[in-house]
Amino acid sequence: MTKSFSKDLTAFIKDTLWWNLSGGLGYQLYLCFLAALMVLGIYAYFIQINIGLAATNLSNIVSWGFYIANFTFLVGVAAAAVMIILPSYIYKDKDLHKVVIIGEMVAIGALVMCILFVFVDMGGPAKAWHLIPGIGIFNWPTSLLTWDIIVLNGYLALNLLVPTYILFCHYHNRKPDEKKYRPFVFISIFWAFGIHLVTAFLYQGLPARPFWNNPLMGPRFLASAFAAGPALIIVLLGIIDTVTTFKIESQIFNKLRRIIVVAAIINLIMLFSEIFKEFYLPTHHSLPAIYLYFGLDGHNSLVPWIWTAIGMNVTATLTLAFNPGKNNPKVLFPACILLFLGIWIEKGMGLIVPGLVPSPMGEVVSYAPTWVEIAITLGVLALGVFIVTMLLKPALIIEQRFESRNTAAVG
Amino acid sequence: MKTPTLKNCLLGILPAVLVILSGWSVYSEQGGVTRIYKNAVAPFDDEKKLDSILPLAQKTVRVKTRYQGGLFWTETRKDKIERFRCSRCHNNKDVTIERAAEMAHGDIELDHGGQEKPLSCFTCHKEDERDFLETERGVKVDLDHAYQLCGQCHFRQKKDWVGGAHGKRVSYWAGQRVVKNCTSCHDPHSPLFEKRWPKTYSPPYN
Amino acid sequence: MDCRKNKDCLKPKENGRLKAKQYGRREFLKGAAKAAALGGATMLSGCGTGLLGSNDEFSLRWKEYFKKNYRLMTPAEKDETVRRLERLAKIRTDADIQMSAKAPIEGVLFGYAFNVTRCEGYMECVAACVKENNLDRKSNTQYIRIFEMEHGEMSPEVGDGKYFHEVPVEDHFYMGVQCYHCQNAPCTKACPVKATWKEPDGIVVVDYDWCIGCRYCIAACPYYGRRFNWNEPQVPLEEMTKKQHYLGNRMRHKGQMEKCTFCVQRSREGRLPACVEACPTGARVFGNLLDPKSEIRFVLKHKKVFRFKEELGTDPKFWYFID
Repeated sequence: MTKSFSKDLTAFIKDTLWWNLSGGLGYQLYLCFLAALMVLGIYAYFIQINIGLAATNLSNIVSWGFYIANFTFLVGVAAAAVMIILPSYIYKDKDLHKVVIIGEMVAIGALVMCILFVFVDMGGPAKAWHLIPGIGIFNWPTSLLTWDIIVLNGYLALNLLVPTYILFCHYHNRKPDEKKYRPFVFISIFWAFGIHLVTAFLYQGLPARPFWNNPLMGPRFLASAFAAGPALIIVLLGIIDTVTTFKIESQIFNKLRRIIVVAAIINLIMLFSEIFKEFYLPTHHSLPAIYLYFGLDGHNSLVPWIWTAIGMNVTATLTLAFNPGKNNPKVLFPACILLFLGIWIEKGMGLIVPGLVPSPMGEVVSYAPTWVEIAITLGVLALGVFIVTMLLKPALIIEQRFESRNTAAVG
Repeated sequence: MKTPTLKNCLLGILPAVLVILSGWSVYSEQGGVTRIYKNAVAPFDDEKKLDSILPLAQKTVRVKTRYQGGLFWTETRKDKIERFRCSRCHNNKDVTIERAAEMAHGDIELDHGGQEKPLSCFTCHKEDERDFLETERGVKVDLDHAYQLCGQCHFRQKKDWVGGAHGKRVSYWAGQRVVKNCTSCHDPHSPLFEKRWPKTYSPPYN
Repeated sequence: MDCRKNKDCLKPKENGRLKAKQYGRREFLKGAAKAAALGGATMLSGCGTGLLGSNDEFSLRWKEYFKKNYRLMTPAEKDETVRRLERLAKIRTDADIQMSAKAPIEGVLFGYAFNVTRCEGYMECVAACVKENNLDRKSNTQYIRIFEMEHGEMSPEVGDGKYFHEVPVEDHFYMGVQCYHCQNAPCTKACPVKATWKEPDGIVVVDYDWCIGCRYCIAACPYYGRRFNWNEPQVPLEEMTKKQHYLGNRMRHKGQMEKCTFCVQRSREGRLPACVEACPTGARVFGNLLDPKSEIRFVLKHKKVFRFKEELGTDPKFWYFID
């Protein structure tokens, strides 16, 4: 039993590796491009280690910037996989079940990026072991950051576990035992809500920052994540549909579009509610919002970004809601990309920087990432895309093979 | 619909317990540091608790009044005045040197009491006994105990000085209480602090 | 589990045997971790200077790298690390420092009061603080900030913290801000590794070497009380304060958080913090809140005091008052 299992495992790993490395010239170039970005990121990170975080534009006032902004946004992307897992496992949706693996792989990539963004934002890599429970000290449950570490790693483990098991079974042309993985699927559904709520609480729990200390933060995080995540998955499915032999039916796009529309509309309602609260009777605590939307004391670097983001969000939401092209990819994909970018701006830099500006002592500063920050971010993103590619390529091959075998057997 | 069992409720019970616990901890901590210090009425024994307090280098003199902790000391004045003792010149003989006053006291710029009520030398200095000061009521005051004289007008400041809200302690927060004298910080002839450039500046924030 | 262990260690008297056992397990785990971290750690902990400069230095730095959080150290271990740091300073910069790990004094809770009427904005305190606490001269780190305020305002948020002209200016007053050493400090709650905490004498301190540099505490602090070492701090040797405390003014490194400690190296010896001693106007009052005869208690009893952003529930031990 164990011997055959280990044999099965070796074959599985061997084949996945082979599938990942083989491909046409376009695929090889694509991998090289990602590798180049990663090398750039590593180079920039070594600069950052060498001279310290002074290599970034962060300061004692804007102490969190581009890294944490991307982290926050990507947690949402990771959590959004639940929007496919939930209907496919709980409501047994056949269409979405076909792409559930893609959602899970995206989540894994996003989570790796999240963890790396937190890692590069730390003072240095040398002291990271202080966080490991047992040898370090883990200030749990007091510190929200420890909660975040738990939920992110836990979600990563869950998302690795279930798809790997299913794929492994499919690879060997066996039916996965649903009893074995179903509990984990259930846990992962709660966990997905957990990762995003906890990340929201990370900010929401700070009375020092009125812009963040807002009970709507958690729900808004969820709504925006459930819009941005599936939007990314739609685009990804489109890409898969064109570049691989794995074909996606149009109902899947339609179902995902509906999910996005609902989430995006809820997101916009909550955004409106927030804006109303900040501007109807502005208080001292509205200064960050004024800084974000209109600029303060001549510092208005965020203003064009946030209005672009709002424009993108509204346009994309309306487009997706009225669906003028009837799921025509030429309308659907740009709308999804718009929504994704809009939420990226709004929930990234548009959330982190105004939380810290004006400073507790009322100082207003501007922040823009340095090339080191941008290079490291690109490196991390490239790694994430690389991981998703590496996971998806064999996964789709296995799924396709399994399906064709089974349909052949039935036929 | 299933009826909720205990197992199903567990997810609800846990957060509820958490909320109650945190609420209780907030409740039990209310009053905070204000309550803590108000409850602290037992005297603090400096000598027993701190052995690192060294005797001060400068000369001190015991203040002729008490503060909430009993006796306290202040910096001396007489050993810091260059030409003390005054009676070396101001004795019962007349000063015969030409422009003596200008030579000896020309540096003094008297700016005390404002424009309406400018003070003169003998508002404070004892005319017939120059080594001493004199209050309005004619009580002789030693220069080391200048606070007695200043406190006539600046009684509010004096009360604060005795208690510890005005002036400052010398070197130690614990141990024998030694405070700066009025004249340690204020020039008695021109007691207002001067306008000057700050010692440093805050770094610019971009 | 970890919480409990920590608590146990804070009460050295009780349950000595259990503690010894736990330490044993700790050491074991640490040994395992050492092997794992070996490659990465040696590579990454090198901050520019030759790592294999000397055997002695290497072994000292090795032990430093794997030391515990300050709160979990026994007095003997505290003493060891302090000696190690002294020797390392000697080897690396030829500085003769005397470092202490003096424990808080029993029956002391430090409090601070700031006389808004008296401060004239000379910034002597800021300069003294920079000097005393070996603050980075390169990035011009300062713990204290003085705000120039117009009459009719009472919050530093609307003041000018960047003034540089002759002071005091007519119709203006000055307000100093620094870490308020909150009794209910949000920063200590935020820290994921318990690298910052409130000592029994009320001082909020940072174990610089335990800090991972995540800066969540900066985000949590409503008073701008914490500073991060964005670069490797630089202090000329001749300007360095040699009398240091492990939790106080010893040299920090890049990627670590630091903050005002009420000059723990001074205040635990009964001396006044550098800012109080330097203040030319006596605007700063410092003392033991638990001592009914202390000056700070007099101020709290007889003056109208207020605290900054009291509504946040941070319970600062720093009061402002007006003559």
